[in-house]
Amino acid sequence: MGLDPVIGMLLSASFAILFASAAWHKWRDLRRFDEVFSAYALLPRVPGLRLSWTVPLLETAVALGLLSDISRAYAGGVGVVLLLSYAGAMALNLARGRRDIACGCGGPDERRPIAAWMVWRNLLLALLLSGALWHWSRRALLLTDWGTIVFGIAAAVVVYVCVDRLGQLGRRAKALQGTS
Amino acid sequence: MTALAISNIVLWVAVLALLLIVLALVRQLGVLHERIAPAGALMLNRGLNVGERVPMMDVEDLEGHARRIGAPRTDGKSTLLVFVSPTCPVCKSLLPIVKSGRKDEQDWLEVILASDGDRDEHRQFAREQDLLGLPYVVSAPLGMTYQVSRLPFAALVDAGGTLRARGLVNSREHLESLFEAQRLGVASLQEYFASHA
Repeated sequence: MGLDPVIGMLLSASFAILFASAAWHKWRDLRRFDEVFSAYALLPRVPGLRLSWTVPLLETAVALGLLSDISRAYAGGVGVVLLLSYAGAMALNLARGRRDIACGCGGPDERRPIAAWMVWRNLLLALLLSGALWHWSRRALLLTDWGTIVFGIAAAVVVYVCVDRLGQLGRRAKALQGTS
Repeated sequence: MTALAISNIVLWVAVLALLLIVLALVRQLGVLHERIAPAGALMLNRGLNVGERVPMMDVEDLEGHARRIGAPRTDGKSTLLVFVSPTCPVCKSLLPIVKSGRKDEQDWLEVILASDGDRDEHRQFAREQDLLGLPYVVSAPLGMTYQVSRLPFAALVDAGGTLRARGLVNSREHLESLFEAQRLGVASLQEYFASHA
């Protein structure tokens, strides 16, 4: 038994939007993202070589690849690797005690520091995306299925934004109590 | 269109509407958090920097006792210098807050009032405002060292003689923001909230 195509399409399209939005934020200000990327201190600095631009490039490729049946498996695989890399990079820097570096998840004007909940969020996202890579069963889609896909994508986007904002609020609430 | 499809769409619309309401509430929570954040004392750009050692200065209080401001203290107490003036109306409204803050924080803090000008005028001011138990120094060089351009101004110096916080203080909230800044190890509450936004 494979994954129902409605669930598969819902997951693929939602992740395509997520990766497209992440890439768009980075393309908007590549120089700023380069600073964020360097701050993670994961790779040795090579003068004249800017590896940071490969991240939005891969994100764009994943976003587009997820929309096609032919490329979905490859794009999903790269997406899972990207999400796991983000989680690993954050976990490594948190373990190093560098809690003040920007996560690079928002727009260029946003300076949100990395946090443990972001590591868990990325692991959960990687798990969900790997679910979409499972074999899809074949069946004809009905009108209700298309309703589920369209409204489901909209709901997934709003839920993601809410969770993201609540994560920020938790940090701000701690700051107000002077405990962060 | 079947009844099932219609009911499905209606349910999805309801789910989306509820989600949008949740999003609006989350946004409102963010606005509330910003509004309830305490206001810190206004930092002026000029003057000694927070974290810098303050120069040691010998001054005399209204009772004629010599005091050394900025010298490392053996009792481990911090010093709060509050610059006031008899001609400043806001200073008069702040003085009861300073007195109550002095009482509440006496375990770790010594409060010293500072000003410049005619000593007799300050003595009369101290009598009128019931400040006789409070150390009150009159020294123009002290004000110049801390570059006090507007009043009431306060500077918090730790037991080691390092400036921990400074700024214009118009209320209890501003005054306590200096204590909080020292406790949190930041130059000002504004800096603290900016780094936790």
